[in-house]
Amino acid sequence: MARAFRRSAFLVAALTILGAIWWFAVHRPRTPGPGQATATAPVSGGTLVVSVRSEPASYNRHVAPSAAVDAMSQLTQGKLVRINRVTGEVEPWLAERWTASPDGRTFTLTLRKGITFSDGAPFTSADVLFSFEALYDPSVDSVIASGVKVQGKPLQVTAPDAGTVVVTLPAPFAPGIQLLDNVWIFPRHQLQAALSAHTFRDAWGLKTPPGSMAGLGPFVISEHVPGQRITLTRNPRYWRRDAAGTQLPYLDRVVFEIVPTQDAEVLRLEAGSIDVMTQADLRAEDYASLKRLRDQGALNLLDVGVGVDPNVLWFNLAPPRAHRVPPYVARAEFRQAISYAVNRDAIVTSVYLGAAVPVFGPITPGNRVWYSNAVPTTPFDPARARTILASIGLTDRTGDGMLDDPNGSPVRFSIITQRGNVRERTATVIQEQLRQVGITVDVASLDPQSIFQRWSAGDYDSIYFGFQASALDPANNLDFWLSSGSTHVWNPNRTQPATPWEKTIDDLMQRQVAAPTLEERQRLFAEVQKVFAQELPAIYFVAPRIAIATSRRVGGVQPALLEPKVLWNADSLYVTSPSR
Amino acid sequence: MRGQFLRYLLGRAAAAFALVFLVSSGALLLAQLAPGDYASEFGRDPASIAADRHRLGLDRPFAEQYGRWLKRSVTLDLGESFYYRRPVTALVRERAANTALLAVVALLLATALGVPGGILTGSTRGPAVSLVRGTSVALLSVPPLITSLLLLTLAARTGWLPVGGIGNPSPDASWIARLIVSARHLVIPALALALPLAATIERLQSQALREAMNRPSTMAARARGLPRSRIVGRHAWRLSLGPLLAIYGILIGSLFSGSFAVELVTSWPGLGDLMRQALMARDTHLVAGCAAAGALFLAIGVFAADVAHGALDPRVAGSRS
Repeated sequence: MARAFRRSAFLVAALTILGAIWWFAVHRPRTPGPGQATATAPVSGGTLVVSVRSEPASYNRHVAPSAAVDAMSQLTQGKLVRINRVTGEVEPWLAERWTASPDGRTFTLTLRKGITFSDGAPFTSADVLFSFEALYDPSVDSVIASGVKVQGKPLQVTAPDAGTVVVTLPAPFAPGIQLLDNVWIFPRHQLQAALSAHTFRDAWGLKTPPGSMAGLGPFVISEHVPGQRITLTRNPRYWRRDAAGTQLPYLDRVVFEIVPTQDAEVLRLEAGSIDVMTQADLRAEDYASLKRLRDQGALNLLDVGVGVDPNVLWFNLAPPRAHRVPPYVARAEFRQAISYAVNRDAIVTSVYLGAAVPVFGPITPGNRVWYSNAVPTTPFDPARARTILASIGLTDRTGDGMLDDPNGSPVRFSIITQRGNVRERTATVIQEQLRQVGITVDVASLDPQSIFQRWSAGDYDSIYFGFQASALDPANNLDFWLSSGSTHVWNPNRTQPATPWEKTIDDLMQRQVAAPTLEERQRLFAEVQKVFAQELPAIYFVAPRIAIATSRRVGGVQPALLEPKVLWNADSLYVTSPSR
Repeated sequence: MRGQFLRYLLGRAAAAFALVFLVSSGALLLAQLAPGDYASEFGRDPASIAADRHRLGLDRPFAEQYGRWLKRSVTLDLGESFYYRRPVTALVRERAANTALLAVVALLLATALGVPGGILTGSTRGPAVSLVRGTSVALLSVPPLITSLLLLTLAARTGWLPVGGIGNPSPDASWIARLIVSARHLVIPALALALPLAATIERLQSQALREAMNRPSTMAARARGLPRSRIVGRHAWRLSLGPLLAIYGILIGSLFSGSFAVELVTSWPGLGDLMRQALMARDTHLVAGCAAAGALFLAIGVFAADVAHGALDPRVAGSRS
């Protein structure tokens, strides 16, 4: 008896001690420390610690499309003009000014004088010509080349002298000089030999010694510890100064720590061991805990607005191949009924915990210039969905509450979506909502590579997935809108439009990108959105509200809806205290 | 006797080599069979995808791709990573060192906690024994993944330890400062990996010691009136080592498989993280390389345990050779 009592007492004591440790851990006061005051005036010096989920495959932006490589380019390279990610305005960058021809196709840019690469070599128009040559060289097969073409044709670039560049568009293209925001200027003196030898793709790989790659950006790569971190240090020859005349960048160093999962990133942000995440969007489930820390003064939480790249459910409308898609999927009425049958507010509440808004098309309210209120919507109306489905012969013929097609087969289709992602949870909600109107949905969760394989083989009924927006102007997203585009996902790469409504959209978009005024372009694009909303080849349900978190010591943050949301103005970021 | 032991060693080495070969070939095959390939990506121009496939040889029949890989791997050249554009052997070597460090520290920690714990629970009774046993059962029922998440959350909330990673010492830090930074970052992954392993070792040691305590030689020592501590330390414990060592090889195997999950959660830049990236990118050569390294670790662990067991008990080498 006494032994049993002693044992119990011992266990109770041990559990009490463990509980006390846990309570202390959870309820530890999180008031900001002396060095953690909110950043105010810019301060020069210090180190910014940034997390990135994967290691860059290369430092050569032409061959490696990833968030890490893009971030490295943003911080170490320069371009002729820059689109301000917050205002959307085109700003002079390496080119200090430009003039446009009356037809809007030719731009004459004057380069800034006295700029040098980080290794001291002067920057001239020869570097610009070389960068365009590399961009369009077939042996380079640049991943960014298609974004710097008009109607599939390259821009013509000439250099009358060392300080002037003339860029001519092969066809009228309303965004005009905005295209140059995609062109990084590479040092000819370092890379010409590789381009001539057709080895440019291998240049600036991970074997290249850090510090040897010259750039026009605010930082230079000084250290790379594989799998651990990449350290960038200030480029002492960077050309920019702030309004007060202070040499930029403010920061001495930026350390990219490789943190493979978003869970680990958020934990590190909570602990204060990183300042910013490269892929900065917060998940809804993280928002609550970080908001508590914000309220305790431990970090900054910024609401950026409604996201501009919502996830999308699209159907397989391509010509039949081995996979047999249910015939009713090709009917616009069927797709409209699905849009009516899904309660978008339920997705907002259950999947995004309130941090999203219902949307009915690819252009969200976050895209202020191109969003149109006049586009028809399909608000939640299950009765109307059933009526529409009945009008195309999909009714309950067996009395089991589920719909059947005219042949007596159950109305059923599959959704392929990404495993372990908010998309998987959304697809499950859609599945349940469609069950309410009598449609059976099978959800298959795969990894992105497998989804691509199924999509490219035409082996699917529908896919719920998402694409990252690289620009807000629809003219820069023609691959999606035109029937010839590779991301015209429901029926890609057509030589001719497959349907009359796709031809209508093709025609409208061709006119839209060549229209002379913004108002005319907006009007034409609203027409495009109307046609799209009537045919619904792809259905949009919600767009998340974008929130980002940074440590309290970071200043100068101007969060943007496009990637990289924080690092796009890295030269103006600063810290007010040493990193932990 | 010596020839018998040598034959035994050669046999174990051949088995280890076969294990590495089979595992890496199997990994290559499975990665190849998975849907999609490295060049697959939404939004890319189909011509560009085709060019990438051709450049990487992914448009050739699998038998041809495997044959090429096999030919190169004979010379310990495991090909080039599609993603990193670097030799797989160099990439694996960099990460394997981190995984080995984590695994060795975790194994030492597990042994340091598990063996004394097992001796305690196998030789005495009382509330402390119940607590150790209860803790072991609890730790055995929690996978390393959950343990690492719990420890990370604790570290994030308290600030007592770094939250993952391998540390980012200042470039001008002294070597002592760098060592301290690394050691602090090692605590959570090593504990996450070591605690369930320590519990296993404790349970095995306890059971083996109990059995050893009932062996005739131990009972004879007890009958001669030797002190209990001496009976346990000099007689029973030595007898209990055989069964424990026999299972050590398997424990090392589980250590490496567990380390993959722990590395991911704690951002420890080892083979687990590299393998995850390789699998996600369908970087088949790198998948095979990581699998080969994991199998090599397992083979070395099993080999070392077998050799130790064989050296401790010559009957083992005799029976297996």
